Amino acid sequence: MSVQPHSSCRCRWAGIATLLSASLLLWGCTTPWGLRRQPAAPLGIGQESRQDPALSGDGRLLASVVERGGRSTVMLQERSSGKVLPLRHLRRQQPHSSPSLSWNGRYLALVVQQGPRRQAVIEDRANGQLHPLLLPAGREPQRLSLAPDARRVALEVLDNGQARVEVFDLSGLLEPDQAPGQPVSGGGLSR
Amino acid sequence: MKPRALLAVALGLSSLLGGCLGGNLRPLQGLNLQLARGGTSHSPALSGNWLALITGHQGRDQVQLVNLSSSAPVPLLGLNRPDAQPLSITVDQRGERLALVRQREGRTELVLYRRSLQSLQAIPIEPAGVPRLVQLSADGRVLAVEVSRGGQWQVDLLTLP
Repeated sequence: MSVQPHSSCRCRWAGIATLLSASLLLWGCTTPWGLRRQPAAPLGIGQESRQDPALSGDGRLLASVVERGGRSTVMLQERSSGKVLPLRHLRRQQPHSSPSLSWNGRYLALVVQQGPRRQAVIEDRANGQLHPLLLPAGREPQRLSLAPDARRVALEVLDNGQARVEVFDLSGLLEPDQAPGQPVSGGGLSR
Repeated sequence: MKPRALLAVALGLSSLLGGCLGGNLRPLQGLNLQLARGGTSHSPALSGNWLALITGHQGRDQVQLVNLSSSAPVPLLGLNRPDAQPLSITVDQRGERLALVRQREGRTELVLYRRSLQSLQAIPIEPAGVPRLVQLSADGRVLAVEVSRGGQWQVDLLTLP
């Protein structure tokens, strides 16, 4: 059975539709597709160059590369407040590049300079350990991406001048850094 | 032996050696061999069960999304175009949202791709700037974009609905 709307009902619906259209139009003018823009948290040293952004899986933390004393240095901040978080091992070994964070930001992976070579490393912020990711001679890491749960890492390596992506399992090296509520397998620590 | 076969053998051997020498890195050999056979690749992004990357074959770069369970690429209908050059790619943990910086018709643009809808949206950079690198949080809610603006590199943060 079909139900015909009553005329007063029809007017009410038309009013609601008009209001909705108007609010959608206004909303669309200010924030296309509902995007909300937010400047990156200030560094406290005025306007300066900032590159290589990386977000934790939950979007709470932002790592980026800034110039410190003429050297490209990774900086970790809370996105909402701009508060700078300490990194135990990363005051040296510049230039830093390609930071990547796990889900809760426990792990920060990046490429650093170790003597004449580029080297991929992971800092564990929970226990202060630094894990170098050792590659066979002749292969230099260029960029990397740490999986949010920290079970894998993808490295872009340069081998005889040719770029290639390789993926490695880290389950024997790191405890997982899961999103809250995710089941933990293999006896790892859920944070 | 063909160069690609040689490369695969070399990769297999070096992966084995790497496993012994490095001690802490265990290569995903099947996936790595498959990636090596596909030509050059760069700009990896891992999230959940997904690896997004840019692959180059016969002088043409394109975005590829690999399901890590099967090591197989999945279709990205409407994303790759012959007149576009991808520069940076990122994916959320569900493999649903991909954000991409690409060059097309002399312009560099930031676009958001929704895989289930096969839809592509350009995201304007405001104030005006040139995007170079993009990263999406694993939950798919925040985009961080490296932008060249007024002769300086800056980072824009965008919250997605």
